[in-house]
Amino acid sequence: MPGFDSIETLREQLGQQRYLVDEGLATVVFLALRLGKPLLVEGEPGVGKTELAKSLAGAAGVPLLRLQCYEGIDVQHALYDWDYPRQLLHLRAAEGGPLYAEQFLIRRPLLESLATPGSVLLIDELDRADDEFEAFLLEFLSDFQVTIPEVGVMAAQTPPTVIITSNRTRELHEALKRRCLYHWIDHPDLAREIAIAEARLPEVPEGLVRQVCSFVQELRWLELYRVPGVGETLDWAESLHALGRQEVDQETTERTLGALLKSREDIERVRGNGVVEALDKASQRAAQLGDSGGTGA
Amino acid sequence: MGQAPEAAAREAVVALGRALRELGLTVGVDQEILLCAALAEVDVRSRQQLYWAARACFLSDPRQLPAFDSVFDRFWSGSSLEAPNSLVEHGETDPRVAGPQRGGESLPQFRLEGQSGSLLGGQPTRANREIPAAPGQERGEGRRPGVLAAYSPAEALSDKRSLEYAEAELAALRSLARALRAAAPQRISRRLRPARRAGQLDLRRTLRRALETDGDLLRPAYSGPSRRPRRLLFLCDVSGSMERYSRVLLASLQAAVAAGIKAEAFVFATRLTRLTGTLSTRDVARALAEARAEINDWSGGTRIGVALQEFNTRYARLGLARGAIVMVASDGWDRGDPDLLAEQLRRVRLQCRRLIWLNPRPAELDGQPLAVGMRAALPCIDDFVPGHDPRQITRLVSLIGGLGAARPARAQRAAGARMSV
Repeated sequence: MPGFDSIETLREQLGQQRYLVDEGLATVVFLALRLGKPLLVEGEPGVGKTELAKSLAGAAGVPLLRLQCYEGIDVQHALYDWDYPRQLLHLRAAEGGPLYAEQFLIRRPLLESLATPGSVLLIDELDRADDEFEAFLLEFLSDFQVTIPEVGVMAAQTPPTVIITSNRTRELHEALKRRCLYHWIDHPDLAREIAIAEARLPEVPEGLVRQVCSFVQELRWLELYRVPGVGETLDWAESLHALGRQEVDQETTERTLGALLKSREDIERVRGNGVVEALDKASQRAAQLGDSGGTGA
Repeated sequence: MGQAPEAAAREAVVALGRALRELGLTVGVDQEILLCAALAEVDVRSRQQLYWAARACFLSDPRQLPAFDSVFDRFWSGSSLEAPNSLVEHGETDPRVAGPQRGGESLPQFRLEGQSGSLLGGQPTRANREIPAAPGQERGEGRRPGVLAAYSPAEALSDKRSLEYAEAELAALRSLARALRAAAPQRISRRLRPARRAGQLDLRRTLRRALETDGDLLRPAYSGPSRRPRRLLFLCDVSGSMERYSRVLLASLQAAVAAGIKAEAFVFATRLTRLTGTLSTRDVARALAEARAEINDWSGGTRIGVALQEFNTRYARLGLARGAIVMVASDGWDRGDPDLLAEQLRRVRLQCRRLIWLNPRPAELDGQPLAVGMRAALPCIDDFVPGHDPRQITRLVSLIGGLGAARPARAQRAAGARMSV
């Protein structure tokens, strides 16, 4: 991975990938790169955990290898597998030569990341995998090497940058956490969310972006079953833009709530009075922001 | 000073680590070494960079944030790192949530707002988080004065029949935990394991066998699904009306959680407390004492709906109830809004595999009217088990045991649980 010589450079480079980080995340990512430590990122769904890895790979100009975890994921899905049909043909053809050779090895993301110098490896939603898989990862994460019984130890010349994400559906093991740097990503505040939306959706008018973000910020204060994240904010802003709206109004909001809220109860809760109140507060906040932005400039 | 900068940094790191350990955070030497290495990479004169570096190295859980922030504040300002007493609670309130129902400071905060130093700012600790009347409460009281009077503590204490039961129940519920372990329900895992019976072909092992026969696939190897324990999730009422069972219930929760089956324990009266972590230690006396201290609303009023709502918004969202067997143990005497109770219960049922309600004192046996909460709950649950008789406990265990891998018939809508008395 090409080095980022300072935290500021890293921030700028990620910014060019349209991924805006605050100082905290920038510092932690910088440290993870410098110290060669895996970075464990947790946070509510939709705060941009997965996006971080993609942007980092983009900024550094290196390949991103992604391992999506799920229950029952095992070595054959995560690390390597053998190409059995080809092995069988090889065996039948009696061509000679070893059966367990590199040419029959199928590299899964973990092994691929060891073989690709400087890659970014994203281990996504590790909390979905089971304990056994987590334990298996320990060797990989501390030494960046794996043992394949038929071949031997395979180690990385340049270890990959590892980003692990978790939604905290369960607690990860202490042993794993100890091997990682840790960062909790919060929902962004209003100014940051506007900046993110503007960077991500340059085609959407500024005024609409402000109103959208202010409204979502208000929704996050309600006790919702599923709080909308930045991902939903972007979806919604895009939806409104696609409908040709220049500003947020009650009627359109109610019709497009499905882009923001993903449960019937939440939508029912917000629809009507909830929308009116949140719009009210949001427009006040957006106005304040406009004022302070004007005087501050 | 006169010290080398590295030595000074090392000392500072160790001091910070020690202060955090005193607050119950697990900070190991390897993490301290990591931070020392990290400090060489950042500008140690910048408070921000130092803060984020220390946080990334020392923390592993958002719940530790308030404690960490307060220690770091004192660390940076150069004041003593000894913790004032109030900090030991790790308490934090969510400022976005008005109302009392979210108060339990032992609960994980999954929606942190990054409010650094909230504790230093004199945020409420246990004392001033006391519960004002809930919105639904006055209304409910106004509507049903008779019901409220009927379950005052004085009335409950004069109920001889229940008192006699308490002794039998203690033994019965203890053996329940033992039986649960034996019957521990299972579910089918996606993870495969070698199987004898023909099923999915295990190519890896088949090929190995083919090697012995020069590439002829004479003996195919198979794999099949493996089984894992299914989560058992207990939601136990420890309010005033359940007082005589609470002690026993807590003991059985402890037994279940420590039994090594996949059990989750929650208790509630006016709010919800998750006890799985506290109860999982094998030292029964200590676990129970600690759990008891953690429950703020022990023998308080009952607001089942609010407690279930908290369960849904905070835990079910994370998938805790998915595929689980959920058992609510409560007498159904509820001061909250019965509609809220029904709605939240339906929501739990939608997520779990089976929703069982254990009622240790089914009122109708005493010729009393059905408790308001119980009446609201009945249409929303799968099974109702009266717990007045130890034999019913056996029935409960066999019910749970039968809910393993095979999918039992379940009504599309819970049209009403079978009342089996």
